[in-house]
Amino acid sequence: MAGVGGGNDFQWCFSQVKGAIDEDVAEADIISTVEFNYSGELLATGDKGGRVVIFQREQESKNRSLSRGEYNVYSTFQSHEPEFDYLKSLEIEEKINKIRWLPQQNAAHFLLSTNDKTIKLWKISERDKRAEGYNLKDEDGRLRDPFRITSLRVPVLMPMDLMVEASPRRIFANAHTYHINSISVNSDYQTYLSADDLRINLWHLEITDRSFNIVDIKPANMEELTEVITAAECHPHQCNVFVYSSSKGTIRLCDMRAAALCDRHSKFFEEPEDPSSRSFFSEIISSISDVKFSHSGRYMMTRDYLSVKVWDLNMENRPVETYQVHEYLRSKLCSLYENDCIFDKFECCWNGSDSAIMTGSYNNFFRMFDRNTRRDITLEASRENSKPRAMLKPRKVCTGGKRKKDEISVDSLDFNKKILHTAWHPKENVIAVAATNNLYIFQDKMN
Amino acid sequence: MDVEARRIMALSISKLYSSRTQRGGLRLHRSLLLSMTMRAARDIYHAAVEQEQVVPCAPEEPMDTKEQDTVNDSLKEVNTREPKDNLEEDKENQDSKSRKRRVKTAIEPDFLPPKKARMDTDEERQEVLKPNNGNGCRQTETLTAFPTNRAIVAC
Repeated sequence: MAGVGGGNDFQWCFSQVKGAIDEDVAEADIISTVEFNYSGELLATGDKGGRVVIFQREQESKNRSLSRGEYNVYSTFQSHEPEFDYLKSLEIEEKINKIRWLPQQNAAHFLLSTNDKTIKLWKISERDKRAEGYNLKDEDGRLRDPFRITSLRVPVLMPMDLMVEASPRRIFANAHTYHINSISVNSDYQTYLSADDLRINLWHLEITDRSFNIVDIKPANMEELTEVITAAECHPHQCNVFVYSSSKGTIRLCDMRAAALCDRHSKFFEEPEDPSSRSFFSEIISSISDVKFSHSGRYMMTRDYLSVKVWDLNMENRPVETYQVHEYLRSKLCSLYENDCIFDKFECCWNGSDSAIMTGSYNNFFRMFDRNTRRDITLEASRENSKPRAMLKPRKVCTGGKRKKDEISVDSLDFNKKILHTAWHPKENVIAVAATNNLYIFQDKMN
Repeated sequence: MDVEARRIMALSISKLYSSRTQRGGLRLHRSLLLSMTMRAARDIYHAAVEQEQVVPCAPEEPMDTKEQDTVNDSLKEVNTREPKDNLEEDKENQDSKSRKRRVKTAIEPDFLPPKKARMDTDEERQEVLKPNNGNGCRQTETLTAFPTNRAIVAC
């Protein structure tokens, strides 16, 4: 079956699945963020238990096998612990909201991880040599009796089993009153921004005891609050430009050269609402849950509850493309409000060439849209399709009338199986899809 | 329509209250959306009830006109003083229509907890704004609530 992903037709195949098979899912194991690094060699996941797991791609063997290198666990560490705010009597969750990699500048890898309140810069480095032959201590580390030292020797570096160490190099704390929803590394590779519901701060990676507040939408009277910030991202090439989305479905682009305080936007993106589709839940479903610049920097993509929209940065009054993710849910909004699913925050991502976009849905379905051919496909992350290199069969939701064979009806969808987080390899057709506590990796057959 | 509106209103209120006990504290975004939805439902419900009283046979007003109002007391409703009053008022309206024996108490519905402090008042007291250092940028507020001398153990 034809897939989606660019000029040629691609065929998505199962590659790997990581995580427990148990039906009983431990809350702490639920994956809350997925991110490839700049080269695609490393894939990081964060979970609700505050842990970060990094997978590394195996080097490809000389004899070309059909499937490319697999991702294996490279490092696991506890990034955030639960904390308690004594003044407000509130617990601060350890859940990792976002992970963002820094570009690699030396042998070590660096990433930023954040929970609701604190951002941490982690250094992940390899150690494959150990010094042996110390003068003052034994091989097991105990101090030698000084009287027994009769000669001096120079310690020698000996190879050892590879050890991957993760150490927190910077802790950026106490700068957010509200819950952090986004972090984004700037293209200058020196600064990054962090956004909570009402404010956006600009940090320098080397400085932890202060940051600059660049956006503040908190009203003087909180009773007048009508919208919050839902996501923010730095432009991939212009280090002075960033965007932030709101709960009202609008996006503001700000230029830090215009003013130190970016309360006034440079561009304001909003699509006029269709009055015929107004309902009790119009506000909720128009809230933007994710915003991502294209790799080119020319476009940006936003995800609201039912659709994905691609915007040209040069046109503010409407998106250039709109893709319906699961329009069949529009008539079910009341039930989705009841079971809280309407508040789910789906993310979206671009492929490396910006020709395709991907986002998740329910029943462990995820959707891909080819921007050139306008074709779309629905695939499922399921252990039933988990034979190595098994091709994924497109799925279809029956929206009414007679259900065809292999179609699934809307009422049969499992709303507990939601795919909120997906990531696309920056250069190849390899995707990572987080399905609750499992991480699926799919590859294009021709990859 | 008014039945659905009332249902959504009650649902919203119960969600608002249960979100207070959620781990991680009150989520501003979610609370805002719940408040807005509740307000919209309440407005529809009241409009429907008023119309029924004035002209029992007249059709319902379209929803659009009600949702143009600015949400200027959306967060006050977290305290549910207004909705609580309205619910009691609704009870009376309903009772008068159905001729059921009126419940003459000020008992609040079961799912409403005792009155608590309004959202965000604590936060305003805690803000400590750093003095402007003259370069035109705002420095972030520092909350000294968190113990900063936690030992961070390298893995």
